[in-house]
Amino acid sequence: MAKRTAKKTALKVVKKTPAKKASAPKASVAVARGTPLVEMKDISIAFGGIKAVDHASIDLYPGEVVGLLGHNGAGKSTLIKILSGAYKRDVGQIFVDGKEISITNPRDAKANGIETIYQTLALADNVDAAGNLYLGRELKTRLGTLDDVAMEDATRKVMFKLNPNFRRFKEPVSKLSGGQRQSVAIARAIHFNARILIMDEPTAALGPQETAQVGELIKQLKAEGIGIFLISHDLHDVFDLADRLVVMKNGKVVGTAYTKDVTHDEVLGMIIAGKCPKGAIPGPGALRDAA
Amino acid sequence: MSNTPNTSQSPAVEKEGPITRLLRATEIDARILGMAAALLVIWAGFDIYSRLFSTIGFDSDGLIFGGSFITPRNLWNLLNQTASIAIMSTGMLLLIVMRQLDLSIGSMLSTVAVAIGTLQVFRLAPALGEGNRAIWIIAVFGALALGSFMGWFNGVLVAYARIPAFIVTLGGLIAYGGLAWAIIRGETVAPMDSTFELLGGNVPQYSLGVFWSWVVAVVAISGIVYSIWNSRRQRQRFNFPLRPMWAEWFLGAAGSVMVGLLTWVVTIYPWAPNVIKQWATDHHITVPAGIEDKDGNAICMAGEQMVRCVHGYIVYTGYSIPFMIAVGVGLAMSFVATRTSFGRHIYATGGNPEAAELSGINTKKLTVKVFILMGFLVGIGSIITSARLNAATNSLGQSNELYVIAAVVIGGTSLSGGIGTVSGAMLGALLMQSLQSGMTLLNFESAFRDMVVGAVLVAAVFVDQLYRRSVK
Amino acid sequence: MKNIVKAVMLGALAATAMGGVANAAGKTIAVSWKTFQEERWKGDEATIKAVVEAAGDKYISSDAQGSAQKQAADIEGLIAQKPDVIMVVAFDADAILPSIKKISDAGIKSIAYDVQFEDPNALYITFDNVGVGRIMAKEVLKVKPEGNYAFIKGDKGDPNATFLFQGQLEVLKAQMDAGKIKNVCETFTDGWKPDNAQKNMEQCLTSTKNKVDAVLSENDGMASGVVAALKAQGMAGTVPVSGQDGDLAAINRVALGTQTVSVWKDTAQLGKAAANAAIALADGTAIDKIPGVAKFNGGKKKVEMNAILLAPTPITKDNIGDAIKAGHITKEQACAGVKDNAACK
Repeated sequence: MAKRTAKKTALKVVKKTPAKKASAPKASVAVARGTPLVEMKDISIAFGGIKAVDHASIDLYPGEVVGLLGHNGAGKSTLIKILSGAYKRDVGQIFVDGKEISITNPRDAKANGIETIYQTLALADNVDAAGNLYLGRELKTRLGTLDDVAMEDATRKVMFKLNPNFRRFKEPVSKLSGGQRQSVAIARAIHFNARILIMDEPTAALGPQETAQVGELIKQLKAEGIGIFLISHDLHDVFDLADRLVVMKNGKVVGTAYTKDVTHDEVLGMIIAGKCPKGAIPGPGALRDAA
Repeated sequence: MSNTPNTSQSPAVEKEGPITRLLRATEIDARILGMAAALLVIWAGFDIYSRLFSTIGFDSDGLIFGGSFITPRNLWNLLNQTASIAIMSTGMLLLIVMRQLDLSIGSMLSTVAVAIGTLQVFRLAPALGEGNRAIWIIAVFGALALGSFMGWFNGVLVAYARIPAFIVTLGGLIAYGGLAWAIIRGETVAPMDSTFELLGGNVPQYSLGVFWSWVVAVVAISGIVYSIWNSRRQRQRFNFPLRPMWAEWFLGAAGSVMVGLLTWVVTIYPWAPNVIKQWATDHHITVPAGIEDKDGNAICMAGEQMVRCVHGYIVYTGYSIPFMIAVGVGLAMSFVATRTSFGRHIYATGGNPEAAELSGINTKKLTVKVFILMGFLVGIGSIITSARLNAATNSLGQSNELYVIAAVVIGGTSLSGGIGTVSGAMLGALLMQSLQSGMTLLNFESAFRDMVVGAVLVAAVFVDQLYRRSVK
Repeated sequence: MKNIVKAVMLGALAATAMGGVANAAGKTIAVSWKTFQEERWKGDEATIKAVVEAAGDKYISSDAQGSAQKQAADIEGLIAQKPDVIMVVAFDADAILPSIKKISDAGIKSIAYDVQFEDPNALYITFDNVGVGRIMAKEVLKVKPEGNYAFIKGDKGDPNATFLFQGQLEVLKAQMDAGKIKNVCETFTDGWKPDNAQKNMEQCLTSTKNKVDAVLSENDGMASGVVAALKAQGMAGTVPVSGQDGDLAAINRVALGTQTVSVWKDTAQLGKAAANAAIALADGTAIDKIPGVAKFNGGKKKVEMNAILLAPTPITKDNIGDAIKAGHITKEQACAGVKDNAACK
């Protein structure tokens, strides 16, 4: 079913190729290649009898940014945490490059090139930037001990790209500002050649200037062919950055649409009422009559 | 070293006192320095007190500052008495850093001690013949294996059965206590195998002696110098900010002086007269005539000091075996905590368990490993304790868990996880034992002793809180 | 209700009195045990049961499982079975008193077995704890009539630690007053633990520069710590050390000569004495006419009661053979590593 959806969107994309968005042709090229980078099919998970995610299917193509929208508790974070290995799904399949893979914990996700920037940042506050960057995959010396110097060196380089003013390499991250912590979390996600990046509210703690910086970063990563899931409350962010958006409500997908095919108000209608507009492909969570 | 909060590299360069400047330049943890200072104050206090108020007329042999606390003999004893608790405190440190806890270690120590006690006395000795060389080796491996196994059991219940560590190990405290009693039915097994007994350090003839103690000192000083040089070289290679040269020199000199002083102290502690007498007889050593003091005791010159000896024959003790084991464990555990990914994961898990799990760390497996390590160290503790006493009984080790936890907490470890150092925990153990030994030495009432130790525990945490707030 | 109970009690009393005079056998002896968690009580029970049944009497019992409340309920249950004597091993010496009053209100005789409760009507049977201290001091004094004495006392929370110390001082008082014996260290030992005793002894030796001539340790476990500390100074075997309990390892030390005495309280002896006293009481013998009974008021509240205080046995290098013969210890255990003791040859 998800595959059919993908084909449909592909057709639409081809039709509307001469759109103004620079990223659209790229996406269509990717789509034309056929195999999605990630495909989550028919995923469900329940916590204590409450279905947090209910038969949801989403996909992502290389070089594409897919925005996930929905109210708090709509299931978007939960769905994405299944992909990053934080939760184990009850039913459903996950494909990467068309091959089914098993993700039962964060290690599996990382092994498949899936990196995540969590809303909570998931930093060990008592450890410094380099320690956090390499947490779980530390660099070792020939003797098998931690190569702190090499890790600090690499951290200095990657942090320079993201945040040239960052100097506090020796301090635990609890002493850093919100923006600095965010850059550490982002650095960790992009440093290990991720192919699939999940960003859960990446700009929540940031000021306007830093938010713009993250926007630039996303464009840069896209250009490198990395697929990005972007979860955000902020419609403007999503419209600015995402090629496609998926709206969820009550654990179900309301609909999928290209950002250029829908308006802000239509998307709000999807989020609030579950009403699927013309420009979108309805999902199982859409109101019947709207579909 | 990402585990210890280091002093900032980019602070406002306001007017700072010499101590602040020293701490910043040398990157010494202020807590460790504070504890070392507290230790010195306690030692000096006891020494002065004993000189002023002690009612016991003691003679002048082996005194360094004239009091009866800072003497080679008392410091040597102190190091021995601290060894077992200090060793176990390093494991408890990692557990507490990881937001876990083990209340069962005292009972575990009893169980392991009586198990290997009965093993060597009632099983191995009759089977292999008393004094067989294999006995102590089997007993040692048995202790380590049993301790690790019990730790593993605790760890599995905590990590996989998801029972809180407090509950699992509280149950263990009670249940293993019963197990120890059941193994031995309240009896005492004694004496231990004669080689095994040496591991307790209670037989001065088998301490390191003067020569080897100084060899240890030279190795230690070389190690300090090398590690300072190596870390500077590494940082140079990557063009990182360096410590000022004077700070490097200061660190090297301070470390070397401390090692030297300690070695000097233990190498001027002579064997007890009766021990020398026995040794001389056993080894057919003819002893030259000495001088006698007014009580008729033979006296010799040991450096500047007049000491008792057997007619001109004197032998010095040097580092004891339990102390060397404790130092070895301390170095190994420090290494594990700061230089391995295992240690890094423990600290990260303590700082934010969810983040550690999301970073791909298998925190369950890690939890089990740390409990196994704790059990292994309890095994070492039980070897030292039962060898030192030359007997094993089910009351051995009881309430050790409280002293070990107290040592870790006095050592600046945060009970909310993520923060603490191995050296801090071991210094905490030494500090607590210093208080207890000192007050016993001066014949303070034991009720008073308990009150002081309890008050110090609370005060130490309070001071630590103040420090943490002031740093923020 | 009260009246009915009273009537039942009077009936029971009458029956007891009449039966007591007429017939020696067929009585019932009840025991309320405080716990069977410590193994020794099972041994005590076996002894008492054997003596009671050999006399043709009936033995009934209950186990309070270490709970004062359960023991109170247990005793009510035992009273209901109308025994002639109830023997009580009190879990809590104060909390038990109302139950003891119920026993005497029901016209039943009560015996305080090993643990004292201060009820003037009860018979108290135990080893003479102050006497244990006296024996320790006597045996050590024999070896070292003068010099520096160290006192390694038990846990400060246990009244026995102080009883023992009092007994020791009674014996040593004359020599201490004469300045012949000096108290150079005196310390309580947390939890009676051997490793604490070892540390305490080490500190004592350090503070006195090894000038310790004798050590009065209040039990065998602590004596093992004391001997270890002495050994490190090459003084084990030359300094007399006391202890109690008849620990197997301690008897071995006595044979080796590193410990002077282990005062042994043979609990079989205690059980036998208590069972015989119970039978005598059941048969109507007046409490102060039972052999071995004397007045005792050494308890906390100084209540005067009738008591049988058994003298414990000192095990020294001269009578180790007796302990072996009594089956308390095997010859191999007692004599491991021993070269020059008569009993080991």
